[in-house]
Amino acid sequence: MNPTRQSHYPGYMVGVFLIPAVIIAVVLVAALTSLFQYSFRETIPGSLKVGDFTLGNFGRMSAWIYLKVFLESLMLAGWTALFNLLLGYPLALALVRSRSRTLKAAILIATVIPMFSGDIVRTYSWLIVLGKNGFINGSLGSLGLIASPFEFLYTPLGVTLALVQYSMPVMVLILAAAISHINPDYEKAASSLGASPWRVFVHITLPLSRPGIISGSVTIFAWTLSAFATPQLIGGGKVNMIANLVYQLGFSNFDFPFAATLSMTALALTLLILAAMRLWLRRFETVETH
Amino acid sequence: MTLSKSKRNFLSSTTAAAALSAAPAVVRAQSRDPLRISIWGGSWRDFNAEFIGKRFTAQTGVPVQYITGGTIDRLNKAKLSKNNPETDLVFTTSHVGWLYVSDDLFEPLDMSRVPNAAHLFKEGAISPFHVGAWSYVYTIAYRPDLVPSEIKFNSWADLWNPRLKGMIGLPDFDPSHIIYAAAMLSGAKAASDWAMGQAKLRELRPNIRAFYNSDATSQEKIGSGETPVQVLLSGNAYHMMSQGVKINLVVPKEGAIVGIDTMAINKGSKRVDLAYQFMNIAWSPEVQSDIANRQRMGPMSTRATVNPDVAKLPGMFTNSRQWQEEAIVIDHKQRAELLGAWRKWFTENMISR
Repeated sequence: MNPTRQSHYPGYMVGVFLIPAVIIAVVLVAALTSLFQYSFRETIPGSLKVGDFTLGNFGRMSAWIYLKVFLESLMLAGWTALFNLLLGYPLALALVRSRSRTLKAAILIATVIPMFSGDIVRTYSWLIVLGKNGFINGSLGSLGLIASPFEFLYTPLGVTLALVQYSMPVMVLILAAAISHINPDYEKAASSLGASPWRVFVHITLPLSRPGIISGSVTIFAWTLSAFATPQLIGGGKVNMIANLVYQLGFSNFDFPFAATLSMTALALTLLILAAMRLWLRRFETVETH
Repeated sequence: MTLSKSKRNFLSSTTAAAALSAAPAVVRAQSRDPLRISIWGGSWRDFNAEFIGKRFTAQTGVPVQYITGGTIDRLNKAKLSKNNPETDLVFTTSHVGWLYVSDDLFEPLDMSRVPNAAHLFKEGAISPFHVGAWSYVYTIAYRPDLVPSEIKFNSWADLWNPRLKGMIGLPDFDPSHIIYAAAMLSGAKAASDWAMGQAKLRELRPNIRAFYNSDATSQEKIGSGETPVQVLLSGNAYHMMSQGVKINLVVPKEGAIVGIDTMAINKGSKRVDLAYQFMNIAWSPEVQSDIANRQRMGPMSTRATVNPDVAKLPGMFTNSRQWQEEAIVIDHKQRAELLGAWRKWFTENMISR
C-alpha cells in the first residue's frame, strides 16, 4: 500500500465526516425520486394534484416548440462555453504566468469580485448596459457611429453576453488551476531550444492544459444549460431556456407533471454530457501515463 | 418514595401560583402574535401596511406580518400548506381566488361580522369566500415620447398597427386580457369563445417585443423605454407617472379589462376574528378613500370620498354607471377555469415561438 495514501483518521471518524454529505444526498435523492414519479403522471388542469400513470408527457416532448427550446438552450450553452474559453484562457494564462504580482492581483480581483454580486444584480446591470438607451447604444449613438440602436435585449446575443460574464469567473479559475499544474520547465526547455513564444504556447502550454479546457468548457456548458435568472430577465420571454419553460409550465400553467418531465430530461442530458467529459478526460490521462 | 401531604400542597400551590402569574404573559404573547397576511411584494405590501395595517394595529394592538410573493407562487404555497396555513388572510386576484376556492383553501365568509361590507359595489361580491378590496384595469399604456404622435389608441385593435412592430410588452403570467381583447375583436361574445381570437393573436406576434413576468419587470421595461407600449395594470402606470415617467393610459372604446383584488380568510386560520376586523378596516371609508386618492386604485366601497381629479382618471370606477359602461368584467369563475388552457396556449403559441 502506498504509505502516503494511508489515512491518519480511524474509520469511525471518516464515517462521522460523511454524515452531512449523506444527509444532503438523501434529501436530493428524495426530491429527485418525487420529480421522477411526477414525470409519469397525468396533469389535472388547474390543480397541483396529479392523475394516473402515463407515458404521454414524454410523447409531448417531441413537439417542435419544446424541442426548439432544448436546441436553443444547447446552442446558447455551447456559445457561452466557447466565448468563455476564448476570453477566459488569456486571462487565466496571465494570472498564472505573469511575473507582476500587481497584475496577478488585479486579474484575480477582477475575476472573483463579480461572483459576490449575485446573478440578479449582475443581470440587472446588463439590462442597463444592453438597453436601447443603455451604455453601449448610448455611447455608439453619441459618437455618431449608429443611426438606430442595436437590439441586444431579448435576443440570443444579449443572453449569451450576460451568461458569459456570469460564468467567466468559474472558467478562469478552472483554467488557471490547470495551467498552474503545467511544469514551467517544459516551456523554458522549448524556449531555450529556440521555439518562439507562440510556438511554445501552441505546442506545449495549450496541449498540456487540455484537461482544464475540457473540464472548464463542460462545466460552463452544463451550468448554463440550467440557467434561469439571466434568460428570464435578458430574454424577456422571447429567448427561453429549459429552466424558463419549466417555470412557465409548472408555476404558471400548473402543469407540474410535464414540467417534471422536462426537468428529468434536462438532468439526463446534463449527466450524459458529464459522462462524455469523464470518458474524454480519461483518454488524456491514459496518454499522459504512457 | 412518596411526598408528604405538606410537600404536595406546597408544590401544587406553587404550581398554581406560577400558572396564574404566567397567564397574563401567555395572553400578552398571544396578542403579540401577528396577523399573517399573504400579499404581493413591493408597493402592494407597502400601501397595504400604510393604509390598513397601521390602523389595524392601532385598534387591536396586534401587529401584522406580511408574507409576500407572486399570485401563483402564493397559491402553490397555500396548496402545499393546506392543513396548516402559513397565513390568516389572503389578498389575491378575483379569478385566482376561485382556484383557492376550488381547492377548499378559504373559509366561507360571514359578512354580518364585517359591517363595512354592507356598502360595497355589487361587482365586489365575487364568491361566498372572497370579496373585492379594490379594483384596477389592465389597459393600453404608452410612452408619448417614444411612440409616434400620429399613432392613436382608440381601440384594442390599434395594438395591431404594423408601425408598432417590436414595441409592445405583455404580461406572461396572465394573458387573459389580450386573449379576451383579441377574441372580442374577432366577434366573440364571451370568454368561452376565446378560440375565435387565436388567429388574431398570432398576427400580433411581430409587434411584441418582450413579455414581462412581474410588476417590477413591467415597470422596468416601460420605464427604460424597451417596451414603449404595454398592456399594463393601471395602478402600476400611475405609480410610474408619480416617479416622473411620461405614460399615457387609455381606455379603448371597447372598455378596459377590469381586475379586482380580493380578500379571503385562510381555511384553518386560528385568528379568524382578527381577520374579520382587518377586513372591516380595509373596507372603511377612510381606507378606501386612501386607496383611491393616494394609490390610484378603484375603491370597492361606495362610501369612499374620491377627489374629482382622481375620479376622472382612466380605470377609476367610482359609481355604478362607470362600472356598467366602462368596465369589461370577465366572469371571474369562468376566467379561473379557462386560465390553465389560456396559459398553455399562450406559452406554446406566443411565448415559445
